Amino acid sequence: MRRRPNYLAGAASLAWLFIVGLPLYVLLAATVQTRSDYSKGGPLSWPENFTLENFTGAFDEGFGQYYLNTVIVTVAVVGIVLLLVPPLAYAIVRSRSRVTSLVFRLFLLGLAIPAQAVIVPMFYLISEAGLYDNLIGVILPTAAFCLPVSALVLSGAMRDISPELFEAMAMDGATPRRMFFQLVLPLSRGGISTIVVFSALQAWNGFLFPLVLTQSDSTKVITLGLYNFQTEHGINIPGLLAAVVLSMVPVLLVYLFARRALVQGLMGVGGK
Amino acid sequence: MTTQMTRASAPRTVTGKTSRPVRGTAADVGRPGFAWAVPATLFFALFAIAPLVMVAVLSFMNWNGLAEPEFVGLDNWKRVFDDPVMIQSIWLTLLLTFLGVALQTPLSILLGVWAAGKQRNRAVLSAIYFVPLLLSSTAVSVLWRALLDPNFGVPAQATWLFGDGNLFGAQSTAIGVLAFVSTWQFTPLHTLIYQGAARAIPEVLYQAAEIDGAGRFRQFFHITLPQLRNSIITSMILMVVGGLTTFETVLILTQGGPGTDTTISAYYMYQKAFKSFDFGAGAAIALVLVVAATIISLIVVRLSGYDKMRGTMEGMS
Amino acid sequence: MRFSRVLACGVALAAALSLTACGGNGSSAGGGDKIHVLVYGDATNKVEKAIVDKFNKTSEVKVVLDTIPGADYQQKLQTIINTPQAPDIFFNWGGGSIVPFVKADLLLPLDDFIAKDAKLKDAFLPSVFDSAVVDGKAYGVPMRGTQPVMLFHNKKVLADAGVQPPKTWDELLAAVKTLKAKGITPIALGGGDQWPTLMWFEYLYDRIAGPELFNKALSGDKNAWAGEDSKKALSMLRELVDAGAFGTNYDSVKFTDQGSPTLLARGKAAFELMGSWEYSTIQDFDKPFAEKNLGYTAFPTVPGGKGDPANLVGNTNNFYSVLKKTKHPEAAAEFLKLMYSDDFVKQQLAIGNLPTTTNTEQYLDTSANPAYSRYQYDLVKKAPSFQLSWDQAYPQSASTAMHQAVQQFFNGRLDADGFIKAMQALPTE
Repeated sequence: MRRRPNYLAGAASLAWLFIVGLPLYVLLAATVQTRSDYSKGGPLSWPENFTLENFTGAFDEGFGQYYLNTVIVTVAVVGIVLLLVPPLAYAIVRSRSRVTSLVFRLFLLGLAIPAQAVIVPMFYLISEAGLYDNLIGVILPTAAFCLPVSALVLSGAMRDISPELFEAMAMDGATPRRMFFQLVLPLSRGGISTIVVFSALQAWNGFLFPLVLTQSDSTKVITLGLYNFQTEHGINIPGLLAAVVLSMVPVLLVYLFARRALVQGLMGVGGK
Repeated sequence: MTTQMTRASAPRTVTGKTSRPVRGTAADVGRPGFAWAVPATLFFALFAIAPLVMVAVLSFMNWNGLAEPEFVGLDNWKRVFDDPVMIQSIWLTLLLTFLGVALQTPLSILLGVWAAGKQRNRAVLSAIYFVPLLLSSTAVSVLWRALLDPNFGVPAQATWLFGDGNLFGAQSTAIGVLAFVSTWQFTPLHTLIYQGAARAIPEVLYQAAEIDGAGRFRQFFHITLPQLRNSIITSMILMVVGGLTTFETVLILTQGGPGTDTTISAYYMYQKAFKSFDFGAGAAIALVLVVAATIISLIVVRLSGYDKMRGTMEGMS
Repeated sequence: MRFSRVLACGVALAAALSLTACGGNGSSAGGGDKIHVLVYGDATNKVEKAIVDKFNKTSEVKVVLDTIPGADYQQKLQTIINTPQAPDIFFNWGGGSIVPFVKADLLLPLDDFIAKDAKLKDAFLPSVFDSAVVDGKAYGVPMRGTQPVMLFHNKKVLADAGVQPPKTWDELLAAVKTLKAKGITPIALGGGDQWPTLMWFEYLYDRIAGPELFNKALSGDKNAWAGEDSKKALSMLRELVDAGAFGTNYDSVKFTDQGSPTLLARGKAAFELMGSWEYSTIQDFDKPFAEKNLGYTAFPTVPGGKGDPANLVGNTNNFYSVLKKTKHPEAAAEFLKLMYSDDFVKQQLAIGNLPTTTNTEQYLDTSANPAYSRYQYDLVKKAPSFQLSWDQAYPQSASTAMHQAVQQFFNGRLDADGFIKAMQALPTE
């Protein structure tokens, strides 16, 4: 090893381990004990009687329905992004039309629009379209707000494709459409998986659009379910934390099986 | 970003001769037309640009959601900038953003550089550090609200540290909680950025420094930090944009309280629009947010460029 | 045709189709032969569902019951009430909670309908019925029940401390002192929710100045807040807070997450000032305590005060109001008639609500807790004035600022003058 041990960084990392680890310990310990055990022992206690009642309790509170809704929203948002962004990025990278460069600037500007800023007219728009309290009304704006980052990520990936490959295909008389399917899509798989994970995370974790654009239990997504659980039964901490654990299970699966894509997707989420 | 723009707007031609693109010439063969961008553009225009224009119009109107909206000129803008709560909310937003940057930057550089080492225990610890990133902002806020409950959470068991546990009842502690929770949530992300960048620093730089007899601190300040420059910019921009748009954390942890003590601009906008039904004032605040975010985006473009950000991302495992 | 064009058209078409196809099946008013009834989402919904099922068996126009979780009800209601998603009939608290809708000409006056049905007006206590009368016209039919605010206590804690439930303000202050010395938080307060703090203002102002002060203020007379009585009420509140009556961390505690009632039930606190729903809330997590050890009294009297000691504050009642644009006013009227049926009264009592119909009294013994129901019924019946909660009496647009002001007065960020200024700045219409 090239360097002596770094005590300062080592100490910082141990301190941080404690700060991150303690809540995670409470998260796991509290969720497997009964509410009365928890209230006797407090958050730092060791679970005595193992129980899964908090998880079943979460499903009794309607989390099954919320899960289903969130999955629908997530799949649909990813679908829309996959349908719209690859052609867009292809045009940004390869088209010679001046309009396309204007479009690119438009999406750059779009990076700067926080979802909060447009929530009032969005409510009006969705409600006039008759989509209030309807999952479609959540899906459409969520997908739209995934577009700028996705377009940037994917056009970046497509730019890395060597121009010689395009030229070779053009020599063969390939149409733009053939190039798109036979060259561009296969060679930008990395970028595509990044935007899939990014938009899936945006949809799965989305809060503001569902908060303002839905109202009933039948259209509730997981984040809103957590929020309502907290406002109504906040001191049922084992139950609440079980719901928190449930909300992260799918993301955990992605982490276990597609770590790199998840990390890059998260980078796109940035500080949101 | 500028390099990309040039590449996108004036791409090299197939033959390399034609300088001015003309529709339908040989230069266009094999290139997609603008139509490929149309669906995404229309979709984005409808659900992001159009609402943005509407919010601008609305900021000059008086509307409570019940009666017809009416034009009131600059009335909302005057009210918003005369409103001490609004002015305070801007300062609070800046303060929370600053606290986020000040807490997370040194911490995540330190952790990132440390985690860049190849030892096995570091890999295990890094995996644990990562877990907060798997939770949504909503889940993180709900988790911490439960943990910090004065009677049923950790403060009740650690009175030596928390006293009476009145964390949400005073401005200083409420702000502290908000800054801490966002640090808890986002430090792992920034640690990852620095970990990737630190791994990309050529080993030979350190070897040369060792030969010159440079100590650990000199190595850190003269090699590591300068080499991390782009990552620092990327990470700070993410922090600033994140700080400006913080919403769930405030809604769930403090509701802007006690009183208006943690009412940051993004939350104040929500409160004005959807609790007090003053949609005009809400729209004006929203535009302030857009302008702030745009300025920061322009700084992104000028200072770093998206290419550098991408370079940072690719350095990560 | 080029692929890109096909794609473009396809997406545009898909978007257009999904927009139009889904436009029709929202919960819009008068869609088909249905009326939508929107209620506050909580445990009471099961009774409402039963009533709706009963109604749907015989009616051609079917009722659809929609709920919004309680915490969001009021703000969601105002956002949707003037959109195509507005309900036909909706739950409200009367008073200021419907005034803006009346002003915007959205509500249907119910006078004709009441005139046609002689029994209807007589079926409700008059004081209750009147709180949904705006500008001389009736806009609401009472439903669910009345919810007076009372001073609850933990019987065991008081007995152990040798304290009697206080009848006067001075007795309350003395009890606070005794309990504090024993290391018990005298009064549980969910200050994080803000509205529980407001209840203390509502009662003290009423005891000291009578209901007139608030009614003047509500009618737009801002000077009402600056008078001597107002200052006296504030100084007495200040004294109570400074005496440590609420402990020090009340602003981190909430009622809505069951935090403050848990403190009361576990004996960590002795009193809590809360609406009558305190009983069902505690019953939900600690049934034995609710049945045996939960005590309740009226708010203490204030010697020398102008307000009648029998006056109450709280939620006078809940109401159903009807939107003007409903396509089925007759069906709506038929549905509202069920609100004073014997069946409905019995079912409400069984889950702990207290309907304010004149036939309530004969069924009091069937209630979940007859003694508790009868106590409240007598309180309400005897009260010369029943002040609607301030945040419901004022328009919804005032409530955020009002809540912040009461919280800031309690934690010392606002002094009496600052509080008075904040109240004067509230919009009254």
